[in-house]
Amino acid sequence: MSRIIEVVVSPRGEATVQTKGYVGGDCLQASRFLEQALGVAAGDRRTAEFHQEQKPEQTLSQPQ
Amino acid sequence: MSHVVVIATKVQDPVAVAAACRRLGLAEPVYGSAELFSGEVAGLVVRLPDWVYPVVVDTTTGRVAYDDFEGRWGDPKQLDRFLQVYAVEKAKLEAKRKGYSVSEQALHDGSIRVEIVEAR
Repeated sequence: MSRIIEVVVSPRGEATVQTKGYVGGDCLQASRFLEQALGVAAGDRRTAEFHQEQKPEQTLSQPQ
Repeated sequence: MSHVVVIATKVQDPVAVAAACRRLGLAEPVYGSAELFSGEVAGLVVRLPDWVYPVVVDTTTGRVAYDDFEGRWGDPKQLDRFLQVYAVEKAKLEAKRKGYSVSEQALHDGSIRVEIVEAR
């Protein structure tokens, strides 16, 4: 899936920034440059995709 | 969707202000002092169509000074439109600086959608 940042600007000039295709904390980092450039965050919501857990790495140890 | 942030736009980038003025067919913004009804204000002066007084942007704080006398001295929709186009142009400028691809789409409710695709 493509990693997309979507900005929707209302007719009154209020911007809503959404990230799509990012998992976990990546999305916060991805859109931060835009949030800072556009103004002041008035609200923040994290969706289910944000909380999606990545599978932990599995390691196999063989007896010596 | 993983993260949604609502942003109150602050007008702080003179390059994006100039781009918004060009796009809206307004005069090029100039730094200077302008006389509003409430007094003299210094900053980036933007002239909106059919407004009695100009709009003055303080690019340090992002604050926009204006006197529209509740619409009698200028249609507030003109200012809203300017703020909308400023935010769109600012988002596009920032995305292009990072090398991302950008597309824009007008929505039925009057909003403008900017899609930014990260190069991988």
